[in-house]
Amino acid sequence: MGVLLSIALRNLMQSPRRTLLLGLAIGLVTTFLVLLLSLSRGINENLVTSATTMSAGHVNVAGFWKPTTGTAFPIVTGVAKVREVVEKSTPGLDYVVERHRGWGKVVSETGSVQSGLTGLVAAEESRFFDRLILAEEKEYKDGGSEQVLGDPRRLSEDDTIVLFAGQAKKLGVGVGDVVTIKTETMSGASNTADATVVAVARDLGLLSSFSVFVPKSLVLNLYQLNDDTTGALWVYLKDIEKSEETSVIVRGALIDAGFLLRDHESNPFFFKFEAVQGEDWTGQKLDVTWWQDEVSFLTWVLTAFDTVTWSLTLILVVIIAVGIMNAMWNAVRERTREIGTMRAIGMTQTRVLVLFLLEALFLGLGATTAGATLGAAIALGVDAARIPVPSDAVRTILLSNELNLSVQLNSLLTAVVFLTAFTGLSALWPAIRASRLQPVKALTHTE
Amino acid sequence: MSTASPGIVRLTDVVKDYPLGKVTVHALQRVNLTIEKGEFTVIAGPSGSGKTTLLNLIGCIDVATAGEVTVDGKSTGKLTDKQLTALRLNSIGFIFQSFNLINVLDIKQNVEFPLLLQGGMTKAQRAARVDDVVDKVGLRQFASQRPNELSGGQRQRVAIARALVTRPAIVLADEPTANLDSVTGTQIIDLMRDINHADKTTFIFSTHDDKVMKRADRIVRILDGMLEAAGLSEARASGVIENGGGVHA
Repeated sequence: MGVLLSIALRNLMQSPRRTLLLGLAIGLVTTFLVLLLSLSRGINENLVTSATTMSAGHVNVAGFWKPTTGTAFPIVTGVAKVREVVEKSTPGLDYVVERHRGWGKVVSETGSVQSGLTGLVAAEESRFFDRLILAEEKEYKDGGSEQVLGDPRRLSEDDTIVLFAGQAKKLGVGVGDVVTIKTETMSGASNTADATVVAVARDLGLLSSFSVFVPKSLVLNLYQLNDDTTGALWVYLKDIEKSEETSVIVRGALIDAGFLLRDHESNPFFFKFEAVQGEDWTGQKLDVTWWQDEVSFLTWVLTAFDTVTWSLTLILVVIIAVGIMNAMWNAVRERTREIGTMRAIGMTQTRVLVLFLLEALFLGLGATTAGATLGAAIALGVDAARIPVPSDAVRTILLSNELNLSVQLNSLLTAVVFLTAFTGLSALWPAIRASRLQPVKALTHTE
Repeated sequence: MSTASPGIVRLTDVVKDYPLGKVTVHALQRVNLTIEKGEFTVIAGPSGSGKTTLLNLIGCIDVATAGEVTVDGKSTGKLTDKQLTALRLNSIGFIFQSFNLINVLDIKQNVEFPLLLQGGMTKAQRAARVDDVVDKVGLRQFASQRPNELSGGQRQRVAIARALVTRPAIVLADEPTANLDSVTGTQIIDLMRDINHADKTTFIFSTHDDKVMKRADRIVRILDGMLEAAGLSEARASGVIENGGGVHA
């Protein structure tokens, strides 16, 4: 094998221009693929961060309460008992927080936005405050400073609110200003409350357009609910990868404890309203989900992006494959006498095949490694530069206001292995033809 | 020479036809030939007479249309491609008119190449064998150079070394001096002749050069695909070469 490797490498070096041009093409496609995969991973990370900060815990225990068969509210009653079962039954539990859910209009002197209200207990939270990145004042206020103002931990105080930068800009408010929240209670009456903006967070893509954070007490007041109710229990695990299997365990524990549960449905709670309202039961049914269920309506972004990535890559790869095949045909034609000589002195067909495949694989491996390295360097550079995304539509797709590229080893390996294998496959047919040349014909071949 | 002898090479009623458009070219017609081990045989004839075709059949790089070709005790018509390849690797050495060296390998690597294909030897054993044949052809000082850095004569010496390195039973040379000047060509034939005498390796080569023919034990003349004579060398018969070799002016 050593001599075949040596011949293959040296043959590549014998035609430096051809090797360089082909290598450049393969390398650039690899760079392109690595960049797209990094962007895809970045979107995925944004999705996880957004989802597990604003929409869900790793595992969620929510529920619907139906006072009559035709009405439904997204609340869990008797939360203390539910929480006790959850905390006892969850393996690998990190912590549990309560999230109250509501929907209302946030009004300022100059504007208003519709938004989901997320009520939380500041003392319970740790991850939320770690993940929430505050915006510089200039991000939401014309002529604002580069200072980061406010403190989200002041959500521990009554009648406070944390907005996202896009909302604050629309409302024309900043830290310290007061907004009014208007909601409708379960009895159908309107209710309002004033809240002071204690912090403005940097946007987290689509999800941050429809969320504001307030203290639990404010939601309870607005909806006139008692203290033993909540919107959902968000369960955080030490290992997010175990979310799905843990949700099954929690579900079983709640059933064993005598609670009624809805069948599992991979949708966020607000997608289930209509179905629940049409169901013929009253009382409470709990609903256990894991974080991907709660953002399942966003996974199309990733699916679409990955589809586009691989489709574009395949088109480019097919173009390159034509180039590689052409180059290999030329190599076979130019070296037909050499093949004949090697066959005459005792080289088997298999070894001739391996020799030509090795050439292609060397070319592929070298070019893809260089291309992947370049792609990783560009991706890391772009990510570090925190380049803002100017278009709302693109921000929605990327789930972020900045280009976030995540370079991962398995993405690099995927690009290198996939494109190297494709290079080898492209050379397969010319290599087979080379190996099947009859020695006598190959030896008498003339250009 | 007895026709009953099995010989290292034996052709029995061998026919080789080539289709050429709508015409069939009869390259060899009912050829019968036996070559004994250790012979230094010339296949002589004008261009297009069938010399190369005959060597190709003996070298197992082509197959006969009819008849039987036996090389080193094996009937080649019954062998698979893999078996033919193994026979070429282990029993036959090739020397080509255009040298046919692998340009990306240096001289030592070119010579070592068949041993690597054979396998079964340690690096040290291969190195010793390569050094031995490179010395024998007088190219020790050029061992690390590439073929394109050598003269035609030197390249043919490398080809001879490559053909000999596996210690084959037969060495085939297709017009080995055709691309060389007369002095170099004579040196190359003398070198092959010396090796033939020293190692008893069977040499079969084609030529239409009278000076080369004179150095052979035996001349097999071929014309229009048919053998004219297969007997003792005219050269030996005329006393130019004595039994056991050696060139006499």
